[in-house]
Amino acid sequence: MNIFFQQLLNGLTLGSVYSLVALGLTLVYGILHIPNFAHGALYMVGAYMAFFATGSLGANYWVAMAASAAAVALLAVLSERLVFHRLRHAPPLHDMIAAIGLLLFLEAVIQAVWGADFRRLPSPYPQIVRAFDLTAPAQRLMIIAAAFGLMAGLHLFLKRTILGSTIVAMAQNREGAALVGIDATRVSMLTFAISGALAAVAATLFAPINLIYPAMGHLVIMKAFVIIILGGMGSIPGAIVGAMVIGFAESFGAFYVSTDYKDIIAFALLVLILSVRPQGLFTRGVR
Amino acid sequence: MAVWRSLARLTGAAALGAFMAGSAWAQQSVTIGYTGPLSGGAALYGKNTLSGLEMAAKEINEAGGFEVAGKKHTVTVVALDDKYAPSESAVNAKRLKAQHNAPIVFVPHSGGVFALQAFNEQDGFIVGAYTSVPNATERGNRLTLRIPPSFLGYVEPFVRVQMQRFGKKLAVASADHDYAKAWVGAFVPAWKKAGGEVVAENPMSYNKDTDFYSGVSRVLASSPNVMFVGGASEPTSLVIRQARELGFQGGFAVMDQAKMDEMARAVDGFALLEGAIGVMPLVHDLRSGAETFVAKYRKLYNKDPGSEISYNYSALHAVTEAMALAGTVSDPKAIHAKLNEAFQKLTPERNPARITGVDEKGGSNAKIIVGLVEKGRIVPIEANVGQ
Repeated sequence: MNIFFQQLLNGLTLGSVYSLVALGLTLVYGILHIPNFAHGALYMVGAYMAFFATGSLGANYWVAMAASAAAVALLAVLSERLVFHRLRHAPPLHDMIAAIGLLLFLEAVIQAVWGADFRRLPSPYPQIVRAFDLTAPAQRLMIIAAAFGLMAGLHLFLKRTILGSTIVAMAQNREGAALVGIDATRVSMLTFAISGALAAVAATLFAPINLIYPAMGHLVIMKAFVIIILGGMGSIPGAIVGAMVIGFAESFGAFYVSTDYKDIIAFALLVLILSVRPQGLFTRGVR
Repeated sequence: MAVWRSLARLTGAAALGAFMAGSAWAQQSVTIGYTGPLSGGAALYGKNTLSGLEMAAKEINEAGGFEVAGKKHTVTVVALDDKYAPSESAVNAKRLKAQHNAPIVFVPHSGGVFALQAFNEQDGFIVGAYTSVPNATERGNRLTLRIPPSFLGYVEPFVRVQMQRFGKKLAVASADHDYAKAWVGAFVPAWKKAGGEVVAENPMSYNKDTDFYSGVSRVLASSPNVMFVGGASEPTSLVIRQARELGFQGGFAVMDQAKMDEMARAVDGFALLEGAIGVMPLVHDLRSGAETFVAKYRKLYNKDPGSEISYNYSALHAVTEAMALAGTVSDPKAIHAKLNEAFQKLTPERNPARITGVDEKGGSNAKIIVGLVEKGRIVPIEANVGQ
């Protein structure tokens, strides 16, 4: 039973990180109508920013997380202003190419500055919590708590505030939103900022139990794509549920079946779910 | 566009060729070829191996070159980037031979070694193979120098020490690439032969996994005494940390790809690595040759050298020595035949890794010393059999 709960905890940790990344991806999908390939690079930059803030500037972990979120939010807004906004009348293919270009650009810049070496962010809470015969590193518990806190905050923001509703309105119907007087430019910038900040927070939370290197975004973004396809493109509950499905599939699959097969299990699940529900688990009126 | 680019490249190459030919005529310079990853994810490793060669070349040239058949020769290292891809290594080696007439091409990865072995005997150059895969020299290529000793030499002390200290139950949790599989293929039979049992076998993709929690807990569920781990240093240290966090008290046998000092840097010192056995880090090797080498390298490059640097450094010194003994800088067969003698003639400070000689297949032998982490320090342990 103990082992079962250990895997449950691990699945929750992975699912939490994936869901933060997937949430940003799915939000931006509402604006761009293409998956933003550069999102994985934003995640990676977020980890480097936190590394830079704690290491070179000597900041506290939480301050570093806030600084990293702000920096990456700014970077995301800049990418919207300088790249995607200018392509708004171009065919969607151009957005996609621009996103890939941005991904390669950011990776090359980071590698030029910090090199290809592995970096490490020390955990602020290296303790290991032991309760009821269960062991859990404090960092993992913190990831789960922080991720769920952020998700709840995001939910309240989107549902309970006017600013949040404008994002939902834009995603549902761009023209309709413009007709009722929503400023499309402001909403796009806001959405990109939120997605960048979520990626940076996810990276800062996950970095202490992992390593920081220029290609670290690839894996997570691959998973995030699968998650938003699974959950339904543009769907927020879909991103969370999809992330949990993938997180648990990996965790239990790796333990009970084989570590070699864990990705096969996750992707087989994707095929299975999509063959039953081709539109994804949760779909809204977005195309 | 493409036409212009290739034209530009051609003129560039021609100019370089003319320059090289000019300098060769003036100083009797021998070109040593190198192909390895100088960009991309493995760039650091490639640059490290290259720095060993460059350091040796610098020493030789500063001493006024080496004498072959009464004439002084200097060394020029020409390095080309292959991005870790065997196909590019092959193209680079062809170019190094055709354009620079390099009698030896150094390559620091097994994929590249095997690619070069497809044509090196025909084209007439020695493959300076920096890989400990025994197969590099066991396949019958007559012009290969395997620079480090085969990893088989590590298996005996690893098995002996870990079984004695921690127990007979082994869990395999190493990486799943070809090199790691070759290691497991040698380690597991040796463990069983020594009377041990393998309770879990669960290789993981060290380079592709976001998290090792599930994989490690799966292995620990069979309560092993010793874990066999290894891949690149940093992910390996994460696997070890994960095992300790999950309450594992036993020992670790660490595959030679992971370096103890690099791992210690990733997990804040040797505390978590207690009971791990692995390759002796050069900076902890207190034998006289190693110490002088480390000091020299630190002065030149301002960082700690790893064993990949010292092996390549010794290899180039041995190659020039062999050229002097053979009396030729261009006949690869004659040079290859003198390598054994050349390694034996190296002074300790030029041979920090203590390579004792080269067998007739081109595989090096060395006095193997492994490191065991005990009370936060690395203790040297000598192998019973030399490899």
